[in-house]
Amino acid sequence: MLRRMIVISWRAILKNRRRTVITSTAIGIGLASLLFTDALFAGLINFMVNTATETWMGHAQIHGDGFRETGRIALTVNDPAGVMDKLEGDTLVRGFTGRLIAPATLESSMELRPITLTGVDHTTDPDVTSLSASIAEGGYLTGDSTELIIGEKLAEDMELQLGDIAVLTAAAADGGFSSSLFIVVGICSFNSEKLDRYSAFVNMEAAEDMLALDGEYHEIAVLFADPQAAEAHGERFRRMYGVEGNTAEIWPVLQPQIHSMVQMVDVSVTVMAAILFGLVLFGIVNSLFMSVYERMYEFGVMKALGTRTAVISGLILLEAFWLGLTAIVIGSVIGWAVVSYFGAAGLSFGEMEFTGLALNRPIYPVFEAGRIWIYPLITLVFTTLAGVYPGVHAGRLNPSEAIRRSL
Amino acid sequence: MKEKPVIITRDLKKTYHDGGVPVEAVRGIDFTLERGEFTAIIGPSGSGKTTFLNLVAGLDSPSEGEVELSGRLISSMSGKELAAWRRDHIGFVFQAYNLFPVLTVEENVEYVMLLQGVGARERHERVMRILEEVELADMADRLPSRLSGGQQQRVAVARAMVSEPDLIIADEPTANLDSTTGGALLDTMKRLNEETGMTFLFSTHDEVVMERAHRLAVIRDGRLDSGGQGK
Repeated sequence: MLRRMIVISWRAILKNRRRTVITSTAIGIGLASLLFTDALFAGLINFMVNTATETWMGHAQIHGDGFRETGRIALTVNDPAGVMDKLEGDTLVRGFTGRLIAPATLESSMELRPITLTGVDHTTDPDVTSLSASIAEGGYLTGDSTELIIGEKLAEDMELQLGDIAVLTAAAADGGFSSSLFIVVGICSFNSEKLDRYSAFVNMEAAEDMLALDGEYHEIAVLFADPQAAEAHGERFRRMYGVEGNTAEIWPVLQPQIHSMVQMVDVSVTVMAAILFGLVLFGIVNSLFMSVYERMYEFGVMKALGTRTAVISGLILLEAFWLGLTAIVIGSVIGWAVVSYFGAAGLSFGEMEFTGLALNRPIYPVFEAGRIWIYPLITLVFTTLAGVYPGVHAGRLNPSEAIRRSL
Repeated sequence: MKEKPVIITRDLKKTYHDGGVPVEAVRGIDFTLERGEFTAIIGPSGSGKTTFLNLVAGLDSPSEGEVELSGRLISSMSGKELAAWRRDHIGFVFQAYNLFPVLTVEENVEYVMLLQGVGARERHERVMRILEEVELADMADRLPSRLSGGQQQRVAVARAMVSEPDLIIADEPTANLDSTTGGALLDTMKRLNEETGMTFLFSTHDEVVMERAHRLAVIRDGRLDSGGQGK
């Protein structure tokens, strides 16, 4: 009997070809939009996380206890050589670099500005940050103790150009003050207010001299081989490196606002999905009711011949299932095609900003393996469930009335 | 020993409520139909013929009175019991043929046997036998939309008879057919009645049916005027 019901329901779907095509295409387009939106947001999240982590911060950082809270120059990473040895042997780690960080002032012939002085290891930094790739004018650090890189906004504010001399002044760890002359060798552009307006980068040795710290680091930035591993391996990272006077944290903790944005995006997609599934539900209920009313005599005759109520309801559920299946095939094909195209070509948003982050590079929509099946599956479940009400209605038809009304 | 009548109705009444106004469609009918009869219920439009057939078939429940079908009081059965009873004991032929448009002739005819759980091989054999009887065996694979009105009604007759029910109820079976096609259909049904002894109960306006019926029961204004008792 089930086989015959499957045949009847499928043929009924084929018989009303125009309605089937319109209904399933409408649902399919909704599903494709959802798949594309989800992929676009996944691309956006990748962009946000990459921008937040691979630009400068890294996927994780190690500090001396209390440094992040106080910024005190004396609070450096404990046993930096030992920590770096461990990082060297860690298979999850792709790269790491040490930094010195201190508040300082930068003085040109025109202006004096408070900035953050960052001592950079020019040999390891390019593996971890995009400082070298962000040089808009001039060049990257080569190891010379007078080299200075500043952000383009700071250069603009202070009217500094390549080759200009500027003076950095900072409080040293030994309690004294230190001033040094530097030559602007590079102007960088990160598209980040913090880095472009309030940072100055010098070679590690120069920073060590100014801050009276030798072989010390305030921060070790770490990149994982797999960017998604940060959250999964956060606990392990903390246990391994957050010991002996050091604190180790992953990016969601270091940049909670980015993490919140990621969660907000997830909620947005869920809300969109809920709205879409609501529309799907109404669309398919309407379509099935039309079908039930058009074929009332069929159901009346079925009942007259002794077909059980549950079988008739099941028939409508099967029709809803077929509609859903057709819709998810259409939706998945359209969704896959659109995501594949934009996944390769990228989607440019011009100079638009999203939650303070400049979308200055194309966003590449990506299908997330775990979710590509979820939406079609939920669509199928929803469309099938949408058949319950019309199904119950058809099952409860009074046979004599159904036959009479259809004459 | 005399066989029990196929149908006995006792003081059968049905009142509808049309917009709150009670309409007495059937007003106390006592009727008996013996096994093997070929009987027509006749009467003007709106006289209550179809309502009476629906009550006898268990498609509708009476407001008062009883319906006994093959010794079982069907007017007190639950919906589920009635569905099973109809499946096993009654065949239907409707005015508008009412075949399932998405099923082929063979699939339409075997539908009731499918509900009864008859095996595929037996279903096929019985379907082909009855289709031979109604001269449609060569059209077994066709969809109803590719048949004429007369052919569709013969398929409906085959569907009604294939499971060998106690009673075949035909509501205006010739209403949508021309007189020649209607006559031929009635001849087929009469022949099958004579060959199988199956009981037929028609509602009709059509003289083609009346001419061939063993008995005419006349319903007027929801009451049986004459012909209430069988042979």
